[in-house]
Amino acid sequence: MADIMKQPCQLIRQEQYNIGEICTRQQCLAGRGEKVALRFIPSHGERTDYTFSQLDAHSNRFANLLQQLGLGEGDVFFTFLPKAPEQFFAFLGALKLKAIVGTLFSNFGDDALLDRLGDSGAKGIILRKSALKKIGRIRDRLPSLRFVIVADSEVDLAPDVLSLNRLREDASPEFVAPPTTPDTPSVLHYTSGSTGKPKGVLHRHASVLHQSRTATEVLQLQPDDIYWCTADQGWVTGTSYGIIAPWSLGVTQIHYGGGYDAELWFGILEKERVNVWYTAPTALRMLMREEPEVFLKRELSCLRHIFSVGEPLNPEVSRWGREILAREIYDTWFQTETGGIMISNRPGLEGRDGSMGKPVLDVEAAILSDAGEPLPDFVQGNLCLRPGWPSQFMTYLNNESGYRSKFRGGYYYSGDTAYRDAEGYFHFLGRSDDVINTAGHLISPFEVESALLEIAEVAESGVIGAPDDLLFEKVVAFVALHREHRPSRELELKIRLHVTNRASSIATPQEIVFVDAVPKNKSGKIMRRVLKARYLGTDAGDISTLED
Amino acid sequence: MSTMNKLNEIFCEVFDQDDLQIAPEMTANDVDGWDSLSHINLIVAVESAFKIRFNQKELLTFKNVGDLLSSIESKLG
Repeated sequence: MADIMKQPCQLIRQEQYNIGEICTRQQCLAGRGEKVALRFIPSHGERTDYTFSQLDAHSNRFANLLQQLGLGEGDVFFTFLPKAPEQFFAFLGALKLKAIVGTLFSNFGDDALLDRLGDSGAKGIILRKSALKKIGRIRDRLPSLRFVIVADSEVDLAPDVLSLNRLREDASPEFVAPPTTPDTPSVLHYTSGSTGKPKGVLHRHASVLHQSRTATEVLQLQPDDIYWCTADQGWVTGTSYGIIAPWSLGVTQIHYGGGYDAELWFGILEKERVNVWYTAPTALRMLMREEPEVFLKRELSCLRHIFSVGEPLNPEVSRWGREILAREIYDTWFQTETGGIMISNRPGLEGRDGSMGKPVLDVEAAILSDAGEPLPDFVQGNLCLRPGWPSQFMTYLNNESGYRSKFRGGYYYSGDTAYRDAEGYFHFLGRSDDVINTAGHLISPFEVESALLEIAEVAESGVIGAPDDLLFEKVVAFVALHREHRPSRELELKIRLHVTNRASSIATPQEIVFVDAVPKNKSGKIMRRVLKARYLGTDAGDISTLED
Repeated sequence: MSTMNKLNEIFCEVFDQDDLQIAPEMTANDVDGWDSLSHINLIVAVESAFKIRFNQKELLTFKNVGDLLSSIESKLG
């Protein structure tokens, strides 16, 4: 790692690795103070431009107000907001203060919040009034949580539930980030595993080196580009490539405050003259279902490149991109743990539909057997990476053994399976565990099963991911009821709402299958493999351990 | 209770907000938490509460709360 840090890099001035500082003040010092950094387009109303100078001032105010609330270096602060300018100001301000900043998907439910805020010992959070009810239900189990900032309240709602506007009035727009070493903790994202609670993936400020470089090498961002990343800031793409990478390069970003809308999205691409667009396969597959007129009537001559991340890009999406948009759509692969793009298709690299592409500069990928042996071309195995890239995660917070278990024989085991072809292109095949990838988001079956078991009528539950044309995988729940209860539409609704409010809307089963019993092995472990085979109508394989 | 008031109660339950006030012109962008996945919860809840069913074609025509309300009222006759 140290050798990489010593490489000449224009980003790092006087050993200052602070991401907040690099994305704002350093851009101003480079003469970009009056350049638009953020063009925020709300779902209703007029767009608002924020220059790098304004982004600097707003994030400085956040750094100051957080400091006045007692937050300091190494403390954990979360944002729990839908897409809004305050999301970006808070994120960068907390980083300037050398606090650790986590971002939460705005549709997380109580359990998801409790797991993340509790495990990290978060001291503060910013949210909207609509989320206060959720926090209120778990607040007594969060002894470390000192303050809640409400982004859309004009007045303080309690001594520790504070109005952002009131706090901002008293906060100075001047703040200089303290010297920040490359290994200073920075961003915290939680990711799901197949068992147990979500793991807190902790990154460091040096991640900006890799994020910035891949934005140049892969996304091919240029200084005068207009760039739009549609990812929510609750996910790693939303922070690595929706905040850090483009602003570290002084590039103007578009952010839209609303949801999916084909007409509106393509109106933005046309009107804002977007040059580089980074989105997700699920969104692209939804767009494929629209009438071609939606796209053909648009003047998209500025749109140079389209990139995709989150799930494998189907070859038919690539073909649709060529035929309807007259553009290549480049698939990229990375994980919360990698912090930045590791393997990708990209301009200049001969395209191969259905492939993840090739590793980026200085990233060494390998396909290894479970025993750690390199596998020949075209043989399925564990997708592994040689450690040492700058955006590599530091640890799983409070779970050092889990972190260590990801590294064996000099490689990081990603948990994904893939094969490599004879020309060195990698091809994604799936997960090596039970984690469900739905619309690019990893869902733990364990978390959903746990939420289901909280429902009084539910005796047993088993959750799997099943192939889905739109979402890549959908969440399917098998539910066995206590003897006195019968399936009904009302019970199905109760189950859906419970999972949504405890976990998240993304984790809510797309399909609920009522069964007499959930298959388990003799030690009581849910046999998801058997459930999946039954659902898909395939051979379940060895079922000798199945409980009688 | 009017259909609008009953629909408002459903919104409060589905989106877990006690003081949510819906209006005909409101869209998914106006309600925190109303995404394509929670939309399914909303539709299931509406169907269950009013004892009606929407077909796929009807679902595609709902652009705002007013469209949903009109469809409910037409089904209730």
